[in-house]
Amino acid sequence: MKTPTALVLELIEAIGEDAVVWHDEDLLVYEYDGTIDRGNPDVIALPADTDDVSALIRIANKHGASVTPRGAGTGLSGGALAAKGGVIIGMNRMRRILSVDAENKTALVQPGVVNLDLGLEAERHGLAYAPDPSSQRACTIGGNIAENAGGPHTLAWGTTTNHVLAVELVTADGEVQWIGHDTRDEPGYDLVGCVVGSEGTVGIVTQALVRLVPRPSAVRTMLAVYDSVRDASNAVSAVVASGIVPAALEMIDKMTIAAVEPVLNTGFPLDAEAVLLVEVDGPESQVEAEGARVESILRRFEPREVRSATDHEEREHLWAGRKGAIGALGQIMPNYYLLDGVVPRTKLPDVLDAVYEIAERYRLPVANMFHAGDGNLHPCLLFDEREPGATARVLDAGGEIMRVCVDAGGAITGEHGVGLEKRDYLPWIFSEADMDAMKSLRAAFGPTENFNPCKIFPAGHGCGEAGHQHHAQQQIAKFGPKAFV
Amino acid sequence: MSASDAASPGQPPPFEGLDTISEPVRLARYAVDDSLPTSAVLATGISDVERAMADASAAGLAVIPHGGRTMQCLGMPPQRYDTALDLSRLNRVVDYEPEDFTITVQAGMTLSTLQQQLAINGQLLPLDHPHFEQATLGGLAAVGRGGLRRNSFGGPRDWLIGMRMVQADGTAIKAGGKVVKNVSGYDLAKLFSGSLGTLGIIVELTFKLRPQPASDQIIAIGAPTLDDAQRAARAAANAAPFLNGCIALSADAAAEARALGARLLQDEPTIVLRANGLESAATEVLSHALSAIREVGVDRPERRTSEIVETWQAIADLELQTPNEHVRLRLGLPPAKLVQAQVLLDGHLNNPAQWIIAADSGLLFVSTPRVDADTIARLRRELGPLRGRLTIESAPPELKSSVDIWGPAGAGARLMHNIKAQFDPQTALNPGRFVDGI
Repeated sequence: MKTPTALVLELIEAIGEDAVVWHDEDLLVYEYDGTIDRGNPDVIALPADTDDVSALIRIANKHGASVTPRGAGTGLSGGALAAKGGVIIGMNRMRRILSVDAENKTALVQPGVVNLDLGLEAERHGLAYAPDPSSQRACTIGGNIAENAGGPHTLAWGTTTNHVLAVELVTADGEVQWIGHDTRDEPGYDLVGCVVGSEGTVGIVTQALVRLVPRPSAVRTMLAVYDSVRDASNAVSAVVASGIVPAALEMIDKMTIAAVEPVLNTGFPLDAEAVLLVEVDGPESQVEAEGARVESILRRFEPREVRSATDHEEREHLWAGRKGAIGALGQIMPNYYLLDGVVPRTKLPDVLDAVYEIAERYRLPVANMFHAGDGNLHPCLLFDEREPGATARVLDAGGEIMRVCVDAGGAITGEHGVGLEKRDYLPWIFSEADMDAMKSLRAAFGPTENFNPCKIFPAGHGCGEAGHQHHAQQQIAKFGPKAFV
Repeated sequence: MSASDAASPGQPPPFEGLDTISEPVRLARYAVDDSLPTSAVLATGISDVERAMADASAAGLAVIPHGGRTMQCLGMPPQRYDTALDLSRLNRVVDYEPEDFTITVQAGMTLSTLQQQLAINGQLLPLDHPHFEQATLGGLAAVGRGGLRRNSFGGPRDWLIGMRMVQADGTAIKAGGKVVKNVSGYDLAKLFSGSLGTLGIIVELTFKLRPQPASDQIIAIGAPTLDDAQRAARAAANAAPFLNGCIALSADAAAEARALGARLLQDEPTIVLRANGLESAATEVLSHALSAIREVGVDRPERRTSEIVETWQAIADLELQTPNEHVRLRLGLPPAKLVQAQVLLDGHLNNPAQWIIAADSGLLFVSTPRVDADTIARLRRELGPLRGRLTIESAPPELKSSVDIWGPAGAGARLMHNIKAQFDPQTALNPGRFVDGI
């Protein structure tokens, strides 16, 4: 029988026995997120309110234990992994939508609210919450804020940072403060802008006031089927360059279709090389005219077919194929490594070619399903970790793909975060001085060394041998640490 | 302390080799409130800014960055002011990729020059700023506030995807990149946007862009009173959420905007609506808005103009067209509270004038010939429950000596001071002009 440590006992005293998880077998599920890294937390604490969060952070600080915030654990950069053990603060019990103000188009929510639940609540008021990551059935608003999450419908509306107006934040020293304002009129620095996308490294959001957007009166979702990825990506560039801002513009390639189709029966042709999902919305007349124009652009690139969803059900069905894609990949291989490169949109065709070339060279199946309109790629390398050397090959290929994105003038992550996974690549896009300035910002939020440690910045003291650091170091050695600075 | 006094023995004087001004008569243009600098540096490249800041930092000089100086009225009087750093010559396009819908420009480029360059490719940056032919993009970002169309388009923070800055010690850094979606590292572009030049000097900015709409339409409708105009504008905003602008103007504001070139307007309380998109869509949105206006009993005929940009810019310019010695207030609050806020201001202010109310955005500008610190304090107190924030945009120096133009910084003040201490430990940049004495 395991004996509770002094830290565990104090956490139990603060928030109750049923809110503290510390037996080894129970900790197992908290070792993972959506990446291939692992972390080993000592204890999980599940706060019920802001005061709990503050108390938990203070207790952890007193014991010198690191703190790692966690939402649904769907993250794709290792941001919610306890890299140095310590306490994971799981926000899942703070999951209430506190209020919706339809006239001012805002909602006040707790961080554990599931993204889709907020979307559905907004819909009841004739509104929408724009960021809609593919994991929206599980991922939480708190996690979305940490990673500045995107989704297909952020092409027109912007990512999470454009939709969070104010937050209640518990900083790394346990202090609680509201920052921001209903209409961004709080005088002073844009603290909310600093917190969104800070990957849970400066504090824990315990409430958020988010912006809701009006729902368009009409929507048209089109599916275009292509016999070559090049044609599909050229069609994407042409739509973007045409001056139309579609609500969404997504690409799904052959490997993804092969995974999705048998499970979800979305009607994507199995022998197509790529399909595009394009959505336009707005007033009826706009959707009619823009839809026709988009369709004519799509047809210029020799599609096998272009068709439109005729009703809500068909539309949802098409989207299920896109949003369920990652899960369906398990059909092909037991493990996947999902990348999140982002490039200037005109570079997409060349970068995609390079992605396929790299995957082939490393003998790895690759599935692509991504936000083409934003230039945000999600190459998904498929493998079986039980095969000796497979993980290493995947990580090396991943590094090369990120490098291609950086060389194309892009960045290493568009919406998943740097986290544990990509921290060694940050020097590819930022100089020491750039990163020092970022660390200055972090320092302003209190004693953050033990607060979600080992994330974003290249490995620091005591961050251990996380899964693939060795490979990242090799990539750095190959291309030089400052090749793009 | 003058620049030459500050140099240590054996060190070259600060700013040697840079284009500087020290004659008092030429320095007058760099006055901030009642303060004059002892020198000005005219930077022509980023390296000049690095040099200037390194020298200023070594010599302990206080620096105020200058762009087009359209908003230097904003802020508390500087606690110290030795050097003006003029960025207006940093006015080049660094990189423009029309097909990517992104542009990188130097900080001294004016908003109107940018818009002209973008228009060649049928693109635009949908931000409003008074005096756009003079306002620079660096200044616009440093002030960092959304304008009359912020309900549709947000503010500079929402369009900036990358930035290059020079820190207080002269170190050049960058943030973000040239892609429209990016979470690689902290978003320092957000931190610097709206920091009023207190954290570093913004030298280069990358924006994402929008296509010019196929159709952009403005209509104006006269109303018997400002109350009617505002109620009608609120009704329009509720009925037509896809409007790209929904403003109520008082009769004197409409008259002034007309004098500035908005021919659409007459000297009466007026509702101004803007919609864009495909022609049929813009027309549809405006017709929804008009029906809502008719339903609240405002029935004067609507007027149209083809001079969209001129008309809108004249209204945006009103913000800086404050009658001499008047105090200009800016209020931001949830849009549904605007009517209550207007009543409150009307009750407390002495002859309030030139009302501009962005009914969809929760923004209200008003000017008054006189206001005292007690009245401002009372207004702020009573605006509290409405979640309103009141800033004094421009005021004579004597008022600034007795009242905080920003109002209380709220619970974030502690973090803001920490950030300032990290980025500008010598308090060399715009000292004392920002929130809570920062």
